[in-house]
Amino acid sequence: MFHSSSHKTYWIFKSEDELELLRCEANQKFCKKIMETPGVSDSIFLKRHEEDVLFRLYEKRLLDFCNVFKPAMPKSVVGTALMYFRRFYLNNSVMEYHPRIILTCAYLSCKVDEFNVSSSQFVANLVHETPAGQERVAEQILEYELLLIQQLNFHLVVHTPYRPMEGLLIDLKTRYPTLENPESLRKNVDDFLTQASLTDIGLLFTPSQIALTAILSSASRAGLNMEYITECLGLKQDKQNLSKMYDSMRMKILMKKYELPNPDEVNVYKQKLERIHAEFVTSSSKRKRGYEEDGHVAKEPRIIEEELSDEDLM
Amino acid sequence: MDDQGCPRCKTTKYRNPSLKLMVNVCGHTLCENCVEMLFVRGSGNCVQCDTPLRKSNFRVQLFEDPTVDKEVEIRKKVLKIYNKRDFDFPSLREYNDYLEQIEDIVFNLTNNIDVENTKQRMEQYQRENRDIIQRNKVKLTREQEELEELLLLEQQGNEQRRLEALQEEQRQLQAKRKNKQALLDELEQSQLPATILLAQHKARAAQLETEIEHQKQSVKPTSLFSTGIQQNQMVSLQPVPRIEEVLYQYRPLKVYTYGPPVPELEQLGRLGYLNHVRAAQPQDTAGGYTTALACHRAIQDAFSGLFSL
Repeated sequence: MFHSSSHKTYWIFKSEDELELLRCEANQKFCKKIMETPGVSDSIFLKRHEEDVLFRLYEKRLLDFCNVFKPAMPKSVVGTALMYFRRFYLNNSVMEYHPRIILTCAYLSCKVDEFNVSSSQFVANLVHETPAGQERVAEQILEYELLLIQQLNFHLVVHTPYRPMEGLLIDLKTRYPTLENPESLRKNVDDFLTQASLTDIGLLFTPSQIALTAILSSASRAGLNMEYITECLGLKQDKQNLSKMYDSMRMKILMKKYELPNPDEVNVYKQKLERIHAEFVTSSSKRKRGYEEDGHVAKEPRIIEEELSDEDLM
Repeated sequence: MDDQGCPRCKTTKYRNPSLKLMVNVCGHTLCENCVEMLFVRGSGNCVQCDTPLRKSNFRVQLFEDPTVDKEVEIRKKVLKIYNKRDFDFPSLREYNDYLEQIEDIVFNLTNNIDVENTKQRMEQYQRENRDIIQRNKVKLTREQEELEELLLLEQQGNEQRRLEALQEEQRQLQAKRKNKQALLDELEQSQLPATILLAQHKARAAQLETEIEHQKQSVKPTSLFSTGIQQNQMVSLQPVPRIEEVLYQYRPLKVYTYGPPVPELEQLGRLGYLNHVRAAQPQDTAGGYTTALACHRAIQDAFSGLFSL
């Protein structure tokens, strides 16, 4: 029931500007914090757009990781994982928490979406790792888990557009028999939804709107004229709601804006990121270690120094 | 338990329900018929123990065990002689010893233990205490008389009250009858139309009725219970304070789904939705799952939030 969910209440935003503002704030907050220690030059930080490039890079990796996951992951789990990642970096900077948190996002979404995978089974998908390395990664995943849940404000249920899409297809078949073969739309719809999950659309529109737009755009690409909205959803008279709905179709423009990060750029920014993490976040992890000695946290920290390289994920 | 019966003629209560068993001082039973037959001359010997008995000493057996009857008889006799009371003794101890002595005597006589000695003791005691016995006897009888007088008074009071009530009722009946008669007379003789007379009569009857009612009410209800506790006493029977609350009114839940209306779960089949979903396998339905459930959920999700923003 999306209409009464935390998803609708807290995680649907009005405009792209609002999202941008939040991300800028996160960036600024981190920079300010580091600037407190003397002798740090402004130039080492990632700019907002640089952050964004890295974000897209890791997001794509998360998607790829999920797509080759064995046993095959349901789409809603993938969608949930991508949404977690997106929500997490809405209020946090990539510089503060390393984006390797993608694995934790995937792991958590498996749990929440009832896709039962044990942690050893999960890390077995990291084929380039030795068994010992896999174990290390597993611990790392769990390390981030509570942080992730907290940063998501404990709003763990994500409504992905896949079920609404199925519902709309059923409704199409039932009430709009003019359309001859609705199943033929499915492939394009799926592509649309996958593409959409890599953009901010999930934070701006409701899942049902996304699903409807996906179906309509798929139909129009197939050269079919869809009178479905006006005919069947009973909106002929309801001009206000109709205009609202057409307004949501602007998400197509947002999607067109998406582009894969440029590999050259990526390399530069990634070096920057690693430097920042090596310099500042280790110190924060040392702080954490001291905190653990007080007996507050039982787990042995084994991060940072021997991090898994990004290539492991691929 | 053995059926009670006459030891002589062997008649039992079972065979003759009207059988009357009699007991004499020796504590042996005989039925009424046998008593009549054996004691025609007024005296004779007991069939069982040969004790000389008198016919006039036969009593109807009250207890199942005839020895109890015997004991009661004996006790009565003994207490006639041993009639001292607690204030005749200087201390409680002595009075208790005295009572103990009485019990001993009664027990001995009842169970035929040392009868002669006991009887002698009794006679000796009687001789020694003749004055006191006589005095106590007089006192006892006087007390008895007083008690009887009291009972008599109460009985008289009851009778009087009953009579009064009866008289009262009679008077009321008479008044009513007189009233009726008066009406008839008037109807016979008066020039006024009958309806008015009837109305007058009715008014008078009503008046009479209210008078009677008044009289009845004027009889003060007693303010005492039979136990002597005052009526209308406040025994902290304060009424529980009532809390006035507005009744709960059910309002059906209204959910705004931000989207077009969703067909009801029950209607899905009729509207043809279920033709386009995978039908539930028998093993799926074990937990209560139905095809319509999944379909409904998908459509709900499809429409929920379509209009928002």
